[in-house]
Amino acid sequence: MTDRVPGIDPKLMEILVCPVSKGPLRYDAERQELVSERAGLAYPIRDGIPIMLPDEARRLDEEGAQP
Amino acid sequence: MADGIRIFDRGLLRKRRDRAAADFAAHDFLVREAAERLADRLDDVARRFPLALDLGCHTGELAAILGGRGGIETLVQCDLSPVMAGRAAANGRPTLAADEEWLPFAAASFDLVLSCLSLHWVNDLPGALAQIRRVLKPDGLFLAVMLGGETLTELRQSLAAAELAEEGGFSPRVSPFADVRDLGRLLQRAGFTLPVADTDAVAVTYGDPLRLLADLRGMGETNAVAERRRGMTRRATLFAALSGYRERFAGPDGRLPATFHLLTLTGWAPHPSQPQPLAPGSATCSLADALEQDPPQPS
Repeated sequence: MTDRVPGIDPKLMEILVCPVSKGPLRYDAERQELVSERAGLAYPIRDGIPIMLPDEARRLDEEGAQP
Repeated sequence: MADGIRIFDRGLLRKRRDRAAADFAAHDFLVREAAERLADRLDDVARRFPLALDLGCHTGELAAILGGRGGIETLVQCDLSPVMAGRAAANGRPTLAADEEWLPFAAASFDLVLSCLSLHWVNDLPGALAQIRRVLKPDGLFLAVMLGGETLTELRQSLAAAELAEEGGFSPRVSPFADVRDLGRLLQRAGFTLPVADTDAVAVTYGDPLRLLADLRGMGETNAVAERRRGMTRRATLFAALSGYRERFAGPDGRLPATFHLLTLTGWAPHPSQPQPLAPGSATCSLADALEQDPPQPS
């Protein structure tokens, strides 16, 4: 379902989806985020733990504000 | 959930759990008791569950008690509290933060979903059960223990009586709990087959009611009802509640009982191999014929 992410069990990545859209996630290595394009949300990975909480996700439409 | 009934403040619950994580081991007796019961139930099922989910893992108590039981090869752990999840991750199992109301797993992912004392804080229980059923593979098993029924009835009665006497009204201070009679129906409505819900009372006794409150706080289980009264409980009210607790409920030895009702839920994701009801009208002999047959005579 999702890219490989270093430090996270591939078995978990296989089944992990966006909790809101249930769509696939893309790994952003630089920001350490799992990005759901469909929901427009990016979920942080902290200390190797994906934080799949909609409240904690960054909204992608705010991305343009910071160059 | 975006709209609908909001009974619990999930953000507050998360903070309570985040805060409780550091010293959880000092107050985790109830979670370990419930985890033992889950593990026993799992032992009764003659099946292997290679990929399992611990939904609401706290700091990893269930994983420690399960060991390798149930033929579990991979146990994914998740908790609403990122801090709890961080502590659970120390056992080396794949771990994440996730909300029971927003499951981040693809359909038909798991052979088994376990949940140990977490579902009693869910606002939309039918919705959460439907999501659990969705992430189970066909013929996958859902096994959960949750608090319910008359849990903490002594505390609830004492607080309500004291608040009425001291302040002339009362607010919800102990969560509303699901009833075992409703849960079987909820499981069925969520699409589980062979649903079973049963209840078991666990009586704990305390010398000092403040210890009970300390344990509840230590488990991150204090009031997260959205309509709770903001601000501190008045000292006089709390004092009246605790002395009322002692007067009404103390046993002959002076110790105070606190009752927890553990509800156990079992349900399977549908699969053609499971027992199926026959189509109405498909019977080949009538009940009347069966009843007319002479009963076997005792010899």
